[in-house]
Amino acid sequence: MSVTELKERHLAATETINSLRERLKERRLSLLDTDIAGYARSQGRAPVTFGPTDLVCCRALQGHTGKVYSLDWTSEKNRIVSASQDGRLIVWNALTSQKTHAIKLPCAWVMTCAFSPTGQSVACGGLDSVCSIFNLNSPADRDGNLAVSQMLSGHKGYVSSCQYVPDEDTHLVTGSGDQTCVLWDITTGFRTSVFGGEFQSGHTADVLSISINGSNSRMFVSGSCDSTARLWDTRVASRAVRTFHGHRGDVNTVKFFPDGNRFGTGSDDGTCRLFDIRTGHQLQVYHQQHGDNEAAHVTSIAFSISGRLLFAGYTNGDCYVWDTLLAKVVLNLGSLQNTHEDRISCLGLSADGSALCTGSWDTNIKIWAFGGYRRVV
Amino acid sequence: MESGGPESASPMTHRVQSLSSADTRGKHRIHAELKRLEQEARFLEEELEQLERMEKASTSCKIMLINVETKPDPLLPSSVGPLSPTWDRWFEGPQDSKSCCRCWIL
Repeated sequence: MSVTELKERHLAATETINSLRERLKERRLSLLDTDIAGYARSQGRAPVTFGPTDLVCCRALQGHTGKVYSLDWTSEKNRIVSASQDGRLIVWNALTSQKTHAIKLPCAWVMTCAFSPTGQSVACGGLDSVCSIFNLNSPADRDGNLAVSQMLSGHKGYVSSCQYVPDEDTHLVTGSGDQTCVLWDITTGFRTSVFGGEFQSGHTADVLSISINGSNSRMFVSGSCDSTARLWDTRVASRAVRTFHGHRGDVNTVKFFPDGNRFGTGSDDGTCRLFDIRTGHQLQVYHQQHGDNEAAHVTSIAFSISGRLLFAGYTNGDCYVWDTLLAKVVLNLGSLQNTHEDRISCLGLSADGSALCTGSWDTNIKIWAFGGYRRVV
Repeated sequence: MESGGPESASPMTHRVQSLSSADTRGKHRIHAELKRLEQEARFLEEELEQLERMEKASTSCKIMLINVETKPDPLLPSSVGPLSPTWDRWFEGPQDSKSCCRCWIL
């Protein structure tokens, strides 16, 4: 076959794909007979109402000297690891506000960090394209530094996100600027699977975020600069289970819904969206109209433990609390007293759902909890 | 004149070789990309077939609403039970000097 013929077939295949995508879009639209907010209103639901002293900042964790980029809680409630532009990971006892470790990193340009399920290790990654593992029980050297206990090398671009597979200290998933996600065996340092990449059915631009399903840890979602989110099964690396369209900008953050059947996204297009993983439906768009200003970009999201609340951090310092059922902003943590003074860059909910942690470019980390009177219904 | 012969042949040969080489590389890449596109078209057709049998979004909305409303949530002012006393640990006991004293709620 000549190059000319190949190019003609390539063009025809591209046109076929564009046509199929358009038909899919139309078909999906025809199935969207309602969104969550429309359905909840039709069932008589009202938005959550917070009093002025209900959600309050109850801790400030100070110690980083640079922008905070990432944070993660342990599964046993009270410890947090944070990563900062100051080139350190800090491990905190969130209840006492004390630092238990301050880990100086080989590469200061860190973008992501994660706690292992047992809480004995932390992982981080960034512009060095490596995911580094630190064992918190290892002795520190004379300068108080922890040695790297494992380096997961192989990505050809920056490591934007990492998460341990739930209930396993030995496996971890990373997302990268090289357009792939990787499942790693930490014990050997080898890549178990690569998701996407050249000539695979994967992302066509940088991967910015990943989230592993807490109910079924074989499934994870990834968000990308290609404006899509993709659902992966770790047993089938050659092909994404599903691709989710709708965003018009980079998908900076993805997070599974607590029940594992849906996931949320946050994007440079200023919106958060909720998708159903079984059907592929986009169930809801969370968009706040701003008057004259361009919409702030969404940097990070977290769901409350029932899923009724969606916390979304924005580049302008806002942290909206959305009622997921009515698609209304019911609070803005960014406008409360004692809030952050700069972009909210990362969010995380404690394992028992009792506290939200926010990290910011203002170098601070804050913990928020419900201090009001709870009614049981 | 004889010395001119090889000189004129050499650039010509090099140009032909480089063109041929680029052509081959381009051909292989286009062929691989074509295979990927054809595979993606099959996936999209598969998804279209699935959508023919897919239920509407309202079914998923109903399932989600039921799921959300049956889970206790420590951050909600009104929640189904049971409540847990450990949820309020953030407002108990002495606080470190680094804490937000101004945020203390009793």
